[in-house]
Amino acid sequence: MTPSDCLNPTRRSVLISLGTGVVALTLPQVTFAQAPASVLKFGLSTFPPTIKPFDNTGGAANTVKLMLYRGLMGYDATGKLVTELAESVEWSDPTTAVFKLRQNAVFHDGSPVTAADVAYSLNEITKDGSTAYLKSDLKIIAAVEAVDDKTVRIKLKAPSAVFLDLMASYCCPVISKKSTDSEIIGAGPFTLKGSEKNVYIEVARFKDFYLADQPKVGGIRFVAYADENLRYAALEAGDVDLIEYLPWTQFDTVEASKALKMKTTLGPFMFLLFNVTSGPFANPKVRQAVGYAIERQDIVDAAFAGRGEPLYGFPNPRGSKFDLADPAHEWKYDVEKAKALLAEAGYANGFECRLLATATYGMHQDTASVVQAYLGAIGINATLHLPDWGTRVTAGKEGKYDIAVHGTSGNYNDPDALWSLLYSGNPSYLQSFGFKSARIDGLLEQGRNAVDPDKRKAIYQQLVVAYYEEVPQVPLNWRIQAYAMKQSVEGFEQLPGFLSGSSGYALDETKFA
Amino acid sequence: MLAFISRRMAAAAAMLLVIGTIIFSLLIIVPGDPAELLLSTGGGSASAEAIANLRANMGLDQPILTQYVTFLYNTARLDFGTSIVDNGSISSVIALRLPRTLEIIVAGTIFALLLAIPAGTAAGLRAGGKFDIATSAINALLTSVPGFVLGTLFIYFFAQILGWLPAGGYVAFATNPAQHLQMLILPSLTVGLHLATMVFRMTRASVLEMRGHDWVRTAVAKGLRRKRVVRRHILYNALGPIITVVGLQLGILLGSTVLVEFIYNWPGLSGLLVSAVEQRDYPTVRAVILTVAAIFIGINLVIDILSSLLDPRIRLQ
Repeated sequence: MTPSDCLNPTRRSVLISLGTGVVALTLPQVTFAQAPASVLKFGLSTFPPTIKPFDNTGGAANTVKLMLYRGLMGYDATGKLVTELAESVEWSDPTTAVFKLRQNAVFHDGSPVTAADVAYSLNEITKDGSTAYLKSDLKIIAAVEAVDDKTVRIKLKAPSAVFLDLMASYCCPVISKKSTDSEIIGAGPFTLKGSEKNVYIEVARFKDFYLADQPKVGGIRFVAYADENLRYAALEAGDVDLIEYLPWTQFDTVEASKALKMKTTLGPFMFLLFNVTSGPFANPKVRQAVGYAIERQDIVDAAFAGRGEPLYGFPNPRGSKFDLADPAHEWKYDVEKAKALLAEAGYANGFECRLLATATYGMHQDTASVVQAYLGAIGINATLHLPDWGTRVTAGKEGKYDIAVHGTSGNYNDPDALWSLLYSGNPSYLQSFGFKSARIDGLLEQGRNAVDPDKRKAIYQQLVVAYYEEVPQVPLNWRIQAYAMKQSVEGFEQLPGFLSGSSGYALDETKFA
Repeated sequence: MLAFISRRMAAAAAMLLVIGTIIFSLLIIVPGDPAELLLSTGGGSASAEAIANLRANMGLDQPILTQYVTFLYNTARLDFGTSIVDNGSISSVIALRLPRTLEIIVAGTIFALLLAIPAGTAAGLRAGGKFDIATSAINALLTSVPGFVLGTLFIYFFAQILGWLPAGGYVAFATNPAQHLQMLILPSLTVGLHLATMVFRMTRASVLEMRGHDWVRTAVAKGLRRKRVVRRHILYNALGPIITVVGLQLGILLGSTVLVEFIYNWPGLSGLLVSAVEQRDYPTVRAVILTVAAIFIGINLVIDILSSLLDPRIRLQ
């Protein structure tokens, strides 16, 4: 450009600029506007930090893992427990399960899935130095025996009502014993085609997957969009076909849209945790008072755009076999009762405290604001502490809070899924700091080791009462979780309740209309 | 001259050492355990044993002094090591991502100069006129709109409403040149518009100032054509301060692309830094900051040396 060009901004240079822009805009758009039907483009909420088969590094990672790896058991699109690499399972006695493997189940390197691979995989989870998510849960296994190439006998130390659910977990796949740290060989419906850290992961259909007619697409390209609004914008603009974690504020738009649709479930729930080592919250009456002090519908409205349900008592997941509803042991909004309980505990004039949440997730922050307002109404003046997620996790683990907001889900639709939130043997940022209850621990153990449904129901009914009386947490609300997709995407279902995070299983049957 | 250069280089090395030490210390102070974070991303809780095992794998169970010495030793050998999150080579990730950040900055700068210099010159030449008033008003408006708001509006308008451009993302130029360019438009436009507002103001003020000088009046009195007066006598002299402003802004842009890269899902260096901080991936955070600092210091070093070649007095100062 010469200086003389600069003098004619309204003529030549403007025309050149306009021309460049127009040319750029008219470049071929086929690749993102009209997706080729064979590759499904999936907008993830974050890039999986790792896809190590046995670690739990988040929902996005678990979805990708389910594409590459499969275990003995799995779930169908309705959330029903089904056999996966196993063809059948039989209990020869309450502590011995015999799995017959599918004859045509093969790994991505072409070798058959054998009993030795199953034994190798379970051993990798439970061995010393393992970082596996299910390491402590699978300590229930006494022995894994290869009866023959395609038959595995697993002996347990005690009966377990949830063992088969554990075998269906995205953290319990069967990998080839030929796997190395750098190359892990799975038997999932897709093989890894390529990836770039923090950008994308692409998988291609595995033609020898044991179900010949699945998966229905040629491949899936996972693209990470950390910002929820951009994730939605990418779906609306046609850059991707399907997204997870549809922002609550967009539910109405998707419902009204002719081009998009969504699948929802009432899955995860929000709750409050307490530091019970000292101060007012060491007294269960004060925690009870908090339970009565909060109008939960306001949280649903303010933090989740009305998409959720108040949760007044024990968070028994949707799809659970047991109906544990017990109105006598719930915290319905009742300010007078809350004030009376506070007075009974010796805090008639209220007190000051720190309320921990995180600014990383808007829903945590918004929930905390509503809780703060309601606590103020009974004289508990809470100061909000909203660090980033990393600091939040550490503060929770170290007990640097008085009261904290949290939200999570279990892994399967059974009351036992609350084990990691309530059992005091493994304290974490997911539990009230310093809370221990032999009564709750005992009931959780009994519930896990009982196999008779009636007996289990009776045990969990007692757990509901203990939960209400000892207040390990104060439940707030269920939140609706949604996947949104183009109308042309068919066959994808959101698995119900706590199984929401296992919805990757439904990608097997997902296809384009 | 040699003494001057070696003095400057020693100062640059000392600065990098100080920066490295500060980053190392800050990361030790900041709360957040990478092992715990990694194993709790899913909202689940990992066992204390699993976390301890992972900490050992990450090398975080070593004494801090040992970690510091190892860090200095490796950095001095230009070995940034591997990410503690996924064991990937940090140097290759930086080598992959730095050019992408620079691409947005360069494209944005070209766009800003193409837009702002002609507009600023025209506004300065016709100060007080309709064009000046209109462009100055638009400029004031754009200055007050933050980049992330502009980015969100662009996505809404060009991607969601019109469907002309992708909402964000990245495809390598080699894979699909057309799509790459389409994805580059909005991020570089967002970066460029902000820079353009500054360049416009500086150009307009400079041109206005130069216009009043004696030599311009003399040139006009000599009967030179208006076009030549403007080009040779006004704009040529006005370019000095404009170039200085653009130069200063380029450094700032390297930092301010963080939000733009985030908004458009553009996988540059800034996004890498953000995710590394979130995951407390210490070696990656240190490597990225040191790389950016080294670029700054390197540019300054080159400018110092060039200036001293042009003006020997600088060497004596």
